[in-house]
Amino acid sequence: MSSVQPSTTAEDALLRSGIDRSLRHPVMFFMTSGAAWLAVSIILGIIGSTKLHSPEFMDGCAWSTYGRVFPAHINAFIYGWGFQVAFAVILWIMARLSRQECRSAGIILTAGHVWNFGVSLGVLGILAGYGTGMPWMEFPFFAWPVLLISYIAIVIWSFIQFRVRPVGHVYISQWYLLAAVVWFPWIFITANTLLHCLPGHPVMGAGINAWYKSALIFLFFTPVALGTAYYLVPKVTGRPVQSYSLAKVGFWSLAAIAPWAGMQKLTGAPIPYFLPYLGAAATIMIALPAVSAAWNLLRTVSGAGEVADHSPSLRFTIAGIVGLLVMAFAAVFLNIPGKTLELTQFSLSGYGFEILALYGFFSFVMFGAVYFIVPRVTRREWISRRLIKMHFLFSAYGLVTIALVALFGGLLQGVGQENWKEPWENAADFAYPYAMATTVSWGFILFSNFFFFIHLTLMWLRLGRRSSHPTLLVAHHGGSPHGPEGDIDNAGPAHAH
Amino acid sequence: MSPSNQKPDLDESINVTQAHGRLIREAAAAAREHRIADNGREPVSLGVVIACGFVLLIAGAVLGDAGTLFSYKSTFRDGYVRASAEGAGDSGPVPKPALEAFMAKGAKVYTRCASCHGPDAKGDGANYPSLAGSKWVTGDTQTLSMIILNGLVGPMSTGKTYGGAGGMQAQGGGMAPEELAGVMTFLRNSFGNSTGDVVTVEMAKAAMEISSKREKAGTQTTAEEITSAHAVALPGDSIDPTLLVDPKTLAPTAAPAP
Repeated sequence: MSSVQPSTTAEDALLRSGIDRSLRHPVMFFMTSGAAWLAVSIILGIIGSTKLHSPEFMDGCAWSTYGRVFPAHINAFIYGWGFQVAFAVILWIMARLSRQECRSAGIILTAGHVWNFGVSLGVLGILAGYGTGMPWMEFPFFAWPVLLISYIAIVIWSFIQFRVRPVGHVYISQWYLLAAVVWFPWIFITANTLLHCLPGHPVMGAGINAWYKSALIFLFFTPVALGTAYYLVPKVTGRPVQSYSLAKVGFWSLAAIAPWAGMQKLTGAPIPYFLPYLGAAATIMIALPAVSAAWNLLRTVSGAGEVADHSPSLRFTIAGIVGLLVMAFAAVFLNIPGKTLELTQFSLSGYGFEILALYGFFSFVMFGAVYFIVPRVTRREWISRRLIKMHFLFSAYGLVTIALVALFGGLLQGVGQENWKEPWENAADFAYPYAMATTVSWGFILFSNFFFFIHLTLMWLRLGRRSSHPTLLVAHHGGSPHGPEGDIDNAGPAHAH
Repeated sequence: MSPSNQKPDLDESINVTQAHGRLIREAAAAAREHRIADNGREPVSLGVVIACGFVLLIAGAVLGDAGTLFSYKSTFRDGYVRASAEGAGDSGPVPKPALEAFMAKGAKVYTRCASCHGPDAKGDGANYPSLAGSKWVTGDTQTLSMIILNGLVGPMSTGKTYGGAGGMQAQGGGMAPEELAGVMTFLRNSFGNSTGDVVTVEMAKAAMEISSKREKAGTQTTAEEITSAHAVALPGDSIDPTLLVDPKTLAPTAAPAP
């Protein structure tokens, strides 16, 4: 990858378009069904959040109770949207970086349908009351082997492509994506075996569960998003990554620190005394890899001028990187034992942190990747600049509101909970306005993602613009912002980015 | 499906060498991409280093507070005392009925006895006799107290000798009256024994006094000595098993249970 002149040759373009063509159906399947699950998850999230401030909403039917809707919401988000969009991005980037066409699209598509089937049954199982009650592992017992096997059938091809790649430099994105691909089965098998197959002491079980949640964020979603960002930013701007050595520091510190995090959620529980402190310290230190990667990427973008303003991929990716910085700050701020940690244990802030990581960081980078990949695999340009802008603005405003409200409203709720002389209702009163604001912001996010889903589906149906000019986020200056719309046969390669 | 002189159907596979130029146009998005450039070697800004150092300081302080790392034995910090909540008077532990409180204390003391007599108090039939159903356990309280405090050696009334030549060693060293009362109450009401009475702390103190005034004080008791001198109840009145006592000191409390 390195030490080649950064100009594109015809052979490069042919190779790329061949890879893109071979991956069109798996990538579009995962992205579109992921977007559909995202919409489902947000609808469930709105119902759950409404229950927090207006418990009488939709009462009288069992499936819509908070205890079922909320786990269904978060599990649909993680396994429906998060994993599927991650699959799409891993498959595509790994194929591009290994310079290999995908030869197993059929198996991947089949496994993708099995994965979707598992997630559907899991979510229905939760809504029907068969949830396990373990956060982020609520799918009924049968689901996890199904998910594990289809996971392996989906990602193993990226591994094989990596093995047979042309000899050469291994790029930063490949480190992160390969690591994520390997780490997930490790944490998934560990947690499921210890909780389902060899259940030990239930208090330690809660600890393992907390570790699983944390590991899923820091050992799967974080490396996938960072690998993607390290691909998109140099690719779109055409600039080299600012500091290669800092990228190394970021990667290895993540690998060394992240597995220790998680048990701080059990502060005060009868587990060995040092475990929560170790978890808190590790979560605080997550700021190291986060700040290294964020600084590296933002510095790479900062000299790129108007490219960064006009590219939809970069706009989402940069927003995701800012989300990462905020997440790093929150990781330090919310995990100080004796000060803030107690306030976050049973309040909205834990949820706020998770949404910040899953949506504010991971999903934004993934949206950036979707806006980059889809025109390549469908050979059509995005239909509407306005739809992209709306998606960005409503998502960003919604997310900022949820993050601020859940983090800081959650702290106030925690203060209310710690005040044991007042009735519990008092703590609920503290949270009331914040829960209300969360519902409204989920509404914004639903609105934005509904249009995202429509846009993406139209693209998959190949109803995108036939043009060689990309859809950029530029203002109208009379005429079309996309340049001459002409027939594809008349248009040569454009020079815009 | 469509002839090549019509608009290109992109699903159709195209002969790459012949349709070279057109493919470049079709794959315009792939063609206009940049290659990923060489990795940069720019220096890392001082601000990043300082920010990371600050984070490490905070994390180090948290770890420093964590006590002995990797000690799976300590669930709480050494010498940890739960601070009473702000504005709450410390009313001490919740009182319990006497029988329950004495039994709980005795069960802890019994862990020492269990190494020989076994956790089920059945002994092993050879060296360690069973305590379940034993007349010396459920009979006169002084009998039991003397054996616990001084040990027992020599043949029993049945002619059987337990524990070899050494017999049972004295267990009274360092034992507090509360512990003696607790373990006696526990033995007399566990493993199938159920006398239903409480051996009080006062009775235990009396037992210790009697023990120190024995003719052969400091030596193990024998079956003969037990039956001749100690086959009586300990002096002192028993208490109502439902009387509320402090589970730590075993002293009766005035306060009713909450």
